[in-house]
Amino acid sequence: MRPDFYRTLLSPWPWLVLTVGAVMPLLLPNYYLHILTVTLIYAALASAWNIVGGIAGQISLAHSLFVGAGAMLSSALLVKLGVNMWLGMLAAAAVSAVIGALVSFIDYRFRLGHLSFALITLAFAEMAEIYVIGTDFLGGASGLFLPRDTGDITQFQFGGGRGAYWVMLGMTALCILVNLAILTSPLGYNLRSMRDNENAAQAIGVGLLRNKTLAMTISAVLTSIIGTIYARYLTFADPYLLASPVLTIEIVLFATVGGLGSAIGPALGAFLLAPVGEILRGQLGDKLPGLHYFIYGLVVIGVILASPGGVWSFIKSLGRRRS
Amino acid sequence: MSVGSINRRTFTVGAAALTAGAVASPYVRRAGAQGAPIRVGVINSMSGSLAAYSQEGHPAFVYLIDKINAEGGIKSMGGAKIELVMADDTSQPARTATEARRLITEEKVDLLTGSLLSAQMLAISPVLDELQQPCLSVWAGGSKSPFLYTLGYHYDRGYAKSMADFAVFLRDKKGFALKTFTPCYSNYEAGQQTNNFLVDRMKKAGFEVLGEAPLDTKAQDQTPAMIRIRSMKPDLVMGLVTPRDGILMHQARYNLAYHNSIFAGGTGGYSDLTLWRDLSPDIAKAVLTRNLFAMTGFSASANISGMQKIVTELRDVAKLKLIGQSAIQSAQAARVVQRVLEAAGSRDKKALLEGFKKLDIKFGDPDLYLSKPSGLKFADDRLLEDGSAMFVQWMENQSQQVIFPDQFANAQPRAKA
Repeated sequence: MRPDFYRTLLSPWPWLVLTVGAVMPLLLPNYYLHILTVTLIYAALASAWNIVGGIAGQISLAHSLFVGAGAMLSSALLVKLGVNMWLGMLAAAAVSAVIGALVSFIDYRFRLGHLSFALITLAFAEMAEIYVIGTDFLGGASGLFLPRDTGDITQFQFGGGRGAYWVMLGMTALCILVNLAILTSPLGYNLRSMRDNENAAQAIGVGLLRNKTLAMTISAVLTSIIGTIYARYLTFADPYLLASPVLTIEIVLFATVGGLGSAIGPALGAFLLAPVGEILRGQLGDKLPGLHYFIYGLVVIGVILASPGGVWSFIKSLGRRRS
Repeated sequence: MSVGSINRRTFTVGAAALTAGAVASPYVRRAGAQGAPIRVGVINSMSGSLAAYSQEGHPAFVYLIDKINAEGGIKSMGGAKIELVMADDTSQPARTATEARRLITEEKVDLLTGSLLSAQMLAISPVLDELQQPCLSVWAGGSKSPFLYTLGYHYDRGYAKSMADFAVFLRDKKGFALKTFTPCYSNYEAGQQTNNFLVDRMKKAGFEVLGEAPLDTKAQDQTPAMIRIRSMKPDLVMGLVTPRDGILMHQARYNLAYHNSIFAGGTGGYSDLTLWRDLSPDIAKAVLTRNLFAMTGFSASANISGMQKIVTELRDVAKLKLIGQSAIQSAQAARVVQRVLEAAGSRDKKALLEGFKKLDIKFGDPDLYLSKPSGLKFADDRLLEDGSAMFVQWMENQSQQVIFPDQFANAQPRAKA
C-alpha cells in the first residue's frame, strides 16, 4: 500500500463527510431518508463495480447476477429453509465469488476483447434472471417476501429506515475504501496496466488470470453483500429489480458519469443521479407520463457533455486550475 | 400604498407576514377538517410495461371521483371533497414503495389507492405496515399487509376456480369432449401462482394434465410455445395470460393455423378489446372467434344493469374512448373509495380500516359495476369474498357474448370447429 492510502485515510475530509452522513437520519424526513438510503445502495454498487469496470477496464454487465445471488439466495435460504440471513449472506457471497472467478477464467481462457467480455457477461446476467424467475426455491417470478424487520441484529435486521441507512453508509464507505486500497496497491497497478494494454502487461510479467480473478472476486463478493442488504431493506426480494440486467446498466451509468477508475467517482455519480431520478419522478410523475425520464435523460447528457471524463476528474481539474 | 412608499419597516412586516402565512397554511388547511378535502394518493403505472392498465383505468377513476365531488362529496364528513394526488411508479415495484412513502409522509394523504398489481402490492406492503396506511389496490391478487385491501382476483378462488369451473361447465353441461389439459400462462408471478392452483383444481376435476407451455414474458414471438402445445394435442389449453403475451400467442396460433384445442383463459390476453387492434381485425377474427373463450370481470353485454349503465355513462358522458376491464375495475374502485370514506366518517386510519371491513355493495346496487353475484364485500384475507368471473366468446363484429355463468349469460358456447 502506498502512502497515498494512509494520507487519504488520515485526512479530515472523509471523516467529516462520514460524520455528516451519519447524522442525516436524525435530520431528514422519512421519504428523503429513503432516497438517501437507495442512493447509498447505488453508490456502493457503483463502487464495487468500478473495481472490475473502472480500474481493470472490463465492462462487466454480469453484476446483476451478483446482486441477484446476494438478494435472492440469502432470502430463499431464510424464507424456505430458515437459515439465518447472516449465513445466507456469506453463502451467497461465496457463490458469487465462484461465479465471478468462473467468468474471469472464461475471459482469460478465450482472451475475450472488451466488447466480447461485455456481451458474454450480459448473457450470464440474462441467464441468471431467467433461472431465478423459473426456480421455485428462489421465489420464481413472485419473488420472496421477508419477515418484518424488528431490529434483531442477530437475524440480519437493522430496525428499518435509520438502521438500514447506517448499515449502507458503512458499506458504501467500505466499498470506496477497498477501491482506494486497490488503487494504491500492486494489484491496482496490475489492473491498470491490463486495462491500458493487456499484451504489454503480460509481457512485463503481470499475471492476467490471477489479477482478473482477484478483481472480479472482490467485486462480486461486495456486490453480493450489498444485494443481501438491499433485499433486507426492501423486505421484498423482487427478481425483476434485483436480478435484472437493467440494474447493471444503472450501475454502469452512475460509475461512468462519476468517473471510471477513481475511488470516489462512481459513488459521486450515484449521489448526483440517483436522487435526481427519484425526485424528478416524485415531482413530475403526475404530469405527462414519461416526462421525468425525458428530463432525467437531458440531465445525464448535460453532465456527460460538461465532464466527459467523469464528474470527479472535472472537479479535480477545477481544483488544479485554482491552485 | 404606492411602491415608492414601501420602506424597510413595511417590507419587513410584509415579508414576515408572508413567511408566517406560508408556514402556517398547511396547518390552517388541516385545522378546518370538515371543509378540507380528503387527500387520496393514487399510484399508477402511467409509464413502463404495465402502463396499459393505468392509462385505460385512470380516466374512468378520475371521472367517477369528479362525479362524487359534484354530487356533494363525502356526506358523512360534511360534504368534504376528494382531492387526488397522483404518482407514477413507472411499472417498477420498488418505485411503487418509494412513491407510497412520499405520498404518505410528504403529501400527507389520508388514503392510498392505485392500479397496484401483485408485484407492486408485495413491494408496497412493508411501507404500509411501517406507516400504518390504509390502501386499496385495483388489481393485486393477494394482500400481504393488514392495511391493504384489493379488488383483484384471488389467485385461487378468483382466477383458478373460475377457470376450473368453466372447464367443468363445458365438459359436463355443454358436452365438450375435454379430457386433457395443458396449462399455458404468462410466466410471471400472477401467472405462475394462478397456474399452481389451477393445475390442482383441474386434476381434482378429473382432467389429465399434459406438459406445461409457459409463455416467456420477454419473448418477441410465442411460436415455440405454440409448437409445444401442438405437439401435445391437448383438448383444452388454459391459463392466465397478459395482453402482450396474448397477442403473441394468438399470432403464433394464426401462423401455425392451429385449431385443434379449445383455448380458454384470462384475462387481458383473451378478453382485452385492444386484441383486435393489435392483432389486426383479420387475424383476430380468425383466432378469437374460433375455439376460444375468454375470462373477464366485465362485458358490455352481460345481464348486469349497473355494468351496462356505467359503460353507457363512460362512453356517452365521460367520452372515454377505451372502455375495457381496467376502466370498469377502476370505476368500481372509485365507488369503493367513496363507500369506505362514507362508512369511516373520518380521516382516522383505524376508522378507514373499519370502513373497508364494513363495505357491502349488494348485487343489484347501481354502484356495483363488476360481475359479482354475491356483491362486493371483503373477506378476512382482504380480498373480495366473491372472486368469480365471467366467460365470454368473441363475435366477428368484435362484440362479446357472455356464456358463463348462466346467471349473466346471453348465449350458448359456440361448438368446437
